[in-house]
Amino acid sequence: MTEEEFQRLCDFLYRRTGMLFGEAKRYYVERRITERMGATGATSFASYFARLRGDVRGEIEQFVNAFTVNETYFYREDHQLQCLTSDLLRERLKGKPRGEAVRIWSVPCSTGEEPYSIAIWLLENWPQVDSHDIEILGSDIDTGVLEAARAGVYGKRALMRLGPELIERYFEQIDDEHWRVLADLRGSVRFSPVNLVESAETRPNGRFDVIFCRNVLIYFDDASRRVAAENLYENLAPGGFICLGHSESMSRISPLFEVCRYADAIVYQRPLEAARG
Amino acid sequence: MADGDKKRVLVIDDASLVRLYYRDALERGGFQVDEALNGLEAFEKLTMDSPDLLVVDVNMPRMDGMTFLRLLRRQAGPIGSTPALVTSTEAGVQDMAAARAAGANFYLTKPVAQDTLALYAAMLCGIPA
Repeated sequence: MTEEEFQRLCDFLYRRTGMLFGEAKRYYVERRITERMGATGATSFASYFARLRGDVRGEIEQFVNAFTVNETYFYREDHQLQCLTSDLLRERLKGKPRGEAVRIWSVPCSTGEEPYSIAIWLLENWPQVDSHDIEILGSDIDTGVLEAARAGVYGKRALMRLGPELIERYFEQIDDEHWRVLADLRGSVRFSPVNLVESAETRPNGRFDVIFCRNVLIYFDDASRRVAAENLYENLAPGGFICLGHSESMSRISPLFEVCRYADAIVYQRPLEAARG
Repeated sequence: MADGDKKRVLVIDDASLVRLYYRDALERGGFQVDEALNGLEAFEKLTMDSPDLLVVDVNMPRMDGMTFLRLLRRQAGPIGSTPALVTSTEAGVQDMAAARAAGANFYLTKPVAQDTLALYAAMLCGIPA
């Protein structure tokens, strides 16, 4: 791949997803292009790029899917889950009209480990779990992972942080190496595609009490990161919280949010009322 | 205990997390559990099976818990007298009275702790400690 071809491809990916790949990620990008060329039978970069731009047989979607990072596991960064049940939900329930659902968004949700972890955590650690309507939505730009998320089948690696008791309680073993999330647990999480830099895709999801948005903003450049942060802000109910990955800081991205320091985690809040000025 | 000896509970609730939470509590308490998403589905289940206890939520789409109980109590035969434990977020005396009038045998205000549910289920099924 020539320098110019590499640049054209990175520009295309950036315009589509907001993800910015530079020279430092060249190997990563080339590996995925080679993989897609092999899968589509393209014999040159030029012919593959033409196919991509023409979205032949939905190639754009396949291409985007190839670039997303989908490695995660159950109960990852569970200190934030602890914060959810110790502090965030209590805060959100103050002043919430009776009967109004508690809405939680996991984005990007990859193959579903995070939204299912949230559901399991609530069942195990939130004594009020039966007294509220709880909506958990998992979203990702990669439609391939959403299918896997709906299927809810996982290997040992994804389950490594769950003890045998939790696995026994919430999964059914389907063979020596795989477990499937129980039907009721699968039924408690909804999945949908979303591109965080497209407000036309984020808005229809409505407003959430808590958003888990971990380790995705790091893939965006400054401009897309701001757009994504503004979209996430719009998807939060006033007073709602957003949890980022441990190496991420919203303060460096957008001034819209307030930092909240709880015993278990630092999270960001959409202020209850926008500051006037 | 063999599955055949276990008392059977039908949990009727539209929220899948709640069904899972109650099912877990009851299975750990030694019950065999089946589920229905609302009153209509519960009636379908009752044509095929006769549980020892019903755990009934109040607010459900298609057929709510109170309507279900009123219709159930009009049924001829043993099905019509299946014990029913109502669970609800409403804690008012009038809510409990309405549930009793509809045919409830017991009423628990949500949140219901898992141990509490298993304990009252055991009592309503006449399982001695």
